[in-house]
Amino acid sequence: MAHSAAAPMEQYNYDIVKKFALMTLFWGIAGMAAGTYIASELAWPFLNFDIAQITFGRLRPLHTSGVIFGFGGNALFATSFYVVQRTCQTRLWGGKLAEFIFWGWNGALVIAGLGYLMGVTQGREYAEPEWYVDLLILVVWVAYFLVYVMTLLRRSQPHIYVANWFYLAFILATALLHVFNNLAVPVSLFGIKSYSLFSGAQDAMTQWWYGHNAVGFFLTAAFLGMMYYFVPKQAGRPVYSYRLSIVHFWALSFMYMWVGTHHLHWTAIPDWTSSLAAAFSILLLMPSWGGMINGIMTLSGAWDKLRSDPIMMFLITSLSFYGMSTFEGPMMSLKSVNALSHYTDWTVGHVHSGALGWVAMVSFGSLYHMIPKLWNKKIYSEKLIYIHFFFATIGILLYITALWVSGIGQGLMLRAFDQYGNLKYSFIETVVFMHGPLVARAIAGMFFVAGILLMTYNIWKTITAGQEATAPETAPATA
Amino acid sequence: MMKHESIETNAGLLIILTLAAISIGGLVEIVPLFHIEGTVEDIKTADGKDAVRPYTPLEQLGRDIYIREGCYNCHSQMIRPFRDEALRYGHYSLAAESQYDHPFQWGSKRTGPDLARVGGKYSNSWHVQHLNRPRSVVPESIMPNYPWLLKNDLYYDDVQGKMKALKKVGVPYSLTKEEYAANVEKFGEEVASLLDINRAETNMVEQAKQGNFDGNPARLTEMDALVAYLQVLGTMVDFSRHDEAEFIKFR
Amino acid sequence: MNWFMDLSNSKSVGLVIFFVTFVAIIIYVYGSKSRSERLESYRNIPFLDDDENETGTSSKEGEK
Repeated sequence: MAHSAAAPMEQYNYDIVKKFALMTLFWGIAGMAAGTYIASELAWPFLNFDIAQITFGRLRPLHTSGVIFGFGGNALFATSFYVVQRTCQTRLWGGKLAEFIFWGWNGALVIAGLGYLMGVTQGREYAEPEWYVDLLILVVWVAYFLVYVMTLLRRSQPHIYVANWFYLAFILATALLHVFNNLAVPVSLFGIKSYSLFSGAQDAMTQWWYGHNAVGFFLTAAFLGMMYYFVPKQAGRPVYSYRLSIVHFWALSFMYMWVGTHHLHWTAIPDWTSSLAAAFSILLLMPSWGGMINGIMTLSGAWDKLRSDPIMMFLITSLSFYGMSTFEGPMMSLKSVNALSHYTDWTVGHVHSGALGWVAMVSFGSLYHMIPKLWNKKIYSEKLIYIHFFFATIGILLYITALWVSGIGQGLMLRAFDQYGNLKYSFIETVVFMHGPLVARAIAGMFFVAGILLMTYNIWKTITAGQEATAPETAPATA
Repeated sequence: MMKHESIETNAGLLIILTLAAISIGGLVEIVPLFHIEGTVEDIKTADGKDAVRPYTPLEQLGRDIYIREGCYNCHSQMIRPFRDEALRYGHYSLAAESQYDHPFQWGSKRTGPDLARVGGKYSNSWHVQHLNRPRSVVPESIMPNYPWLLKNDLYYDDVQGKMKALKKVGVPYSLTKEEYAANVEKFGEEVASLLDINRAETNMVEQAKQGNFDGNPARLTEMDALVAYLQVLGTMVDFSRHDEAEFIKFR
Repeated sequence: MNWFMDLSNSKSVGLVIFFVTFVAIIIYVYGSKSRSERLESYRNIPFLDDDENETGTSSKEGEK
């Protein structure tokens, strides 16, 4: 049976998957450490040190790009290339083109990230890179699309497995979003500065159409693709219902694009766009929970794995957080709730329950599953995975709770009136109130970073000093 | 009915249908907004000119610094139509007020207060002191210090290039005589001369000198530009001339 | 037809489009028994490239 361990190594292009997997960890550490640092700046402002490059305003884009496009992006490249090869049972198309994607993507991130520190930004959230980086990203993305589709086309399976649909929707949607939201006119061909093509209300609509769907397709659809492969594989059982996954896919793809405007409730845009987005946000709960149920129920009949298998704990917990934040999201898109929550830390907490709870947890689980297979090694320490899981979970729970207190508290204070109908609190009084929760949030971030550092150590030891997996990669108990 | 199987087994078809599914929502929401007449208010001054004007060169460079420092990460520029926001910040923001903002800076988070109508609320010297060392005027503030704004000379070699780029995306700065005349018609003589690209540097130095934003008329610093920008925010529309009903229909 | 073109009705139009498509997909996916069986058989694709003793439903992964 030893041959079956070697066969996938030759049959598939694992080399590129390995590179992306390791870069995932690099950007995870960099992006999350930057996040913890800026969280600390809010709690203890002296940490800005009067150094322009590390002030909150310049460092925050490094955090968001680092975790979304660095950590999330590399995790998606790694897993999508792994999944498409294994479910199509064919080698990745393109050879050197995949290498180009790796260097192009990570190079773009480095250029963009250094730029932020120097104050080079488009001033659009999650789309801060300037025009020349956007062009590089576009080229990389076209290459990605080509490699992915060409690999699909030479599959040895007639059917395209559902995980690939989600990855494909993510690739297509991201291309659309990236192109339209970054339309800009550079000041000069050799200059760094550009001005967006749209202005004011139209620009706001375009940006939040992008901003929300970056969440919808980059951070949700694509990671659902990851879920549809790695949860069944880790559980050793096929997905709960394939038909549900089909409904899930079409409903999600169709509905996500409608809801971006809920980021602009009560602003200077026509009311109907806002109400339409709210209505669709509520409807979106259905496919979201359909997907969650599909993932969690995959484990039905093998619930004991939740106690015995730390990787499974990561995956199922991520689905639970997915369910929670896709419930919280529609609730916050109600105009009455949004009136309170918008502009406060509640939004930030919500994003992180999705980003840490869902995106990061499902990525950790998938990486823990995938990396030993890529290197054909046994994981160095299962115990460290447990510890990582508890660090991450404690971090997330503390984070969300702290920002609920901070966000809802500030929202209520800002709209409080005294008996004469005057404002009860000045703005700065709410800032004073938030100090405690912001300290707790910074500590929560430290927990999460400690977790990924443990993971990196564990992975490093697995690769360099781990035991060869002597049995075939899946080491069946019956063998 | 088309067989779903043919979608699952045909990558091209899957791509096309997915594209269709993801395109509909975006189109329905965004396209109508480009029929600009219905979404942006047309607000006139007492003598019938456009109330909202593009930024002067100095203000625009200040805005670029605002973006460079990432102020939008903590400050919004969008007042919502609520009683507490009216008391705290002023009249709710109109779409017209950001019609020349490339990019918009409405923001998504208020770690600090909204700035949409901060113009004229504080003196120039307050802003300089506050930007330089926020905690010296607001002890509980968590804003970073920005001491380099006073130290750095304002770089403006590319100001004409910037205005030309903005002109390309639709801001009515003028290059030719005809465009200048159109601006006189639209904004009045005084504003039109500020929007003349050919006079950008002169206008800028002049405005900085007269405004004396950073307290040092001898130097043109980044502080000059940023404070000039902050002081114009939300000041262009005179709300005493309008009654509420005028704006409701644009929502 | 004018009713459909009126922007203020786009919410209703959107809901109708969405709902009809959704129902069509549901009917398609769950409507026929043989089709259901065929679709469900695809669940096992992730397990096809593994060893013979790991076919979706039967095996356990013994990665301990």
